[in-house]
Formats: sequence, structure tokens, C-alpha cells
Amino acid sequence: MDRERFASLLDAYGAEFRRWPAETRADAAAFAAQDAEAAALMADARRLDAVLDAARETVAPSSDLAGRILAFAPRVLRPAFDRRAMLALAACAVFGVVIGYGGGLMAPPPLEDDTYFSMAFEAPLMFEDEG
Amino acid sequence: MIDPDAELVRNAGAGDQRAAEALVRRHLPKMVGVARRMLNDGAEAEDVAQEVFLRVWREAPRWKPGQAKFETWMHRVALNLCYDRLRRRREKTDPDAGVMVADARPLASEEWFARQRAAKVNAALAALPERQRAAIALVHFDEMSNIAAAEILEISVEALESLLARGRRALKAALADVAQDLLGGAEDRAP
Repeated sequence: MDRERFASLLDAYGAEFRRWPAETRADAAAFAAQDAEAAALMADARRLDAVLDAARETVAPSSDLAGRILAFAPRVLRPAFDRRAMLALAACAVFGVVIGYGGGLMAPPPLEDDTYFSMAFEAPLMFEDEG
Repeated sequence: MIDPDAELVRNAGAGDQRAAEALVRRHLPKMVGVARRMLNDGAEAEDVAQEVFLRVWREAPRWKPGQAKFETWMHRVALNLCYDRLRRRREKTDPDAGVMVADARPLASEEWFARQRAAKVNAALAALPERQRAAIALVHFDEMSNIAAAEILEISVEALESLLARGRRALKAALADVAQDLLGGAEDRAP
């Protein structure tokens, strides 16, 4: 790094090497350490840095600003029914189907012999004939 | 290029409130800070920051990482909103626009001097051309890298350095008395 380049970077970025382009910092520090005029140039730039830093007020944003901003943030639309209620409803439906179908399977099979039914209707006629 | 905000933006866009809160926590002070430097007005700076986030919420659901970092895009939006307001101020030619009103409360003398110095520096910054002011706000006050600042301003690093150098030269001339007061005062106070 020569003095001209050093001075132009100092003009742009000031006396704090941390603000300088990363790739120039080591060369700039080495140049400043060995150049006689560098110290005077840096003192001048440091004075302006100090003046600017006098205006570095850290005013926090208003306490309600974040809340006002977040009020407009995208939101997930809530479903009309609660998800858990929907699951419970579905479980009830499945349970009902299972019980209905299973209950049907467990019931005694219908009688093949319908003699009793026939007799139930025929018997009174038989008594009438006897009377 | 890894964008440290990409996941937060994606989640905030999908309606995740915690992601939205994290984005606000991370970027709100920077947005207010850069707008304050540009506009020299705290209330207007907060309006700009709010407008930036309204645009963030609108863009987040369709944000695709790749070109510019999300923070770079936010800074561009903030600066463009500031340029618009500064343009409207010039059109209105309101002599009081952008002038910080001094607090009328009595202050301890040291605090009073500090506020006076800060007001002078802010006035000198406000008198700079907009692009020089933006360059100094990003590099000196926000301590952004030259590459990030150049990307926000959509200029080359060489052009950024030119803006910075011209801005600092103008500030040095405008603030010679503040420098004398500040450093002279410091020397007076030294044991």
C-alpha cells in the first residue's frame, strides 16, 4: 500500500480500520506503523470520527412501534372448527360404524325354521274348528 | 450466498408470529436508525420503519432467496421511502421540516453541550446530498461493510468510496467548530 492509496481509504472510511475493506486492513496497519506522515493523517481523520460519534445517539424506537407493526404481520387463518374437536368427531363416527357393524356380527343368526311363526297364526284357526 | 434471514422470512410469510417478532427485533432498530439519519426526524423515521415492515409482510409469502439479501432489500426500501419524503419536503419548502426541536427541559450543562453537538452534527448531515448522507449512515453509523453498503446503494465500491470521501470532506468543513469544542473540551478536562 502506498501513501496515496492509504490517504484515499482514510478519506472514505475514517481512522478506524474495522470500517475499512477487509482485504486492506492488515496492509493499512503495517503502512501506518512505518510511515512518518500516516500518524498525522490518521489524527485528522480520527477527529472527524469523534465529531460524528458525538451524534451517535441510541434512541430506542417507541415502545408501541413493534406492536403496531406486528399487528399487520401475516397470520394463519384459523379453521372454523377446532382441530381437536374435528378429530374427536371423526373418532366418534369411526367408533359408531365399528360398534354397529360388530354388533350385527355378534347378534344370534336368524332362525331358519319358521314353524313357530306359522303355528302362531294357524293355531287360532285350529281352535275355532274344534269349537 | 447464505441469507441469515431466509428462514425467518419464509416462516413469517406463512403466518408464524414468532418469526415475525424475531424479524422485527432484528431489524427495526436499524430501519429506524437509518431513517433517522436520513430524515433528521424521529417521528418520520418511525413512520418509514413501519412502512418498510408493511412491505416486508406483503413480500414475505412470496420471497425467494437468491439475488439480494433480505436485509439489503429492506435497506433499499427504507432509503427509497426516505428519498420520497425528502423530495416532498423540498416541494413543500417548509423551512422547519427535518429540524429537530430542542428539548425545553433544563439539562445538566454537560448533557446540554452534548445535545447541542449532536444537533449540529445532525444538521450538517442533513445538509449533505442524499446519496452522501446515505453512504455515511450505512458505513459510519451502521458499520456496514463496503460491499454491503455498495449493494444497498446499487453502486460500485469505488463509487461508494467517492461518496464517502466527499461527504466526510463536507462534514469536516461544516463541523470544524464542533471538533474544536469537542476535542478542546476533552483536553481541558484531561488531568
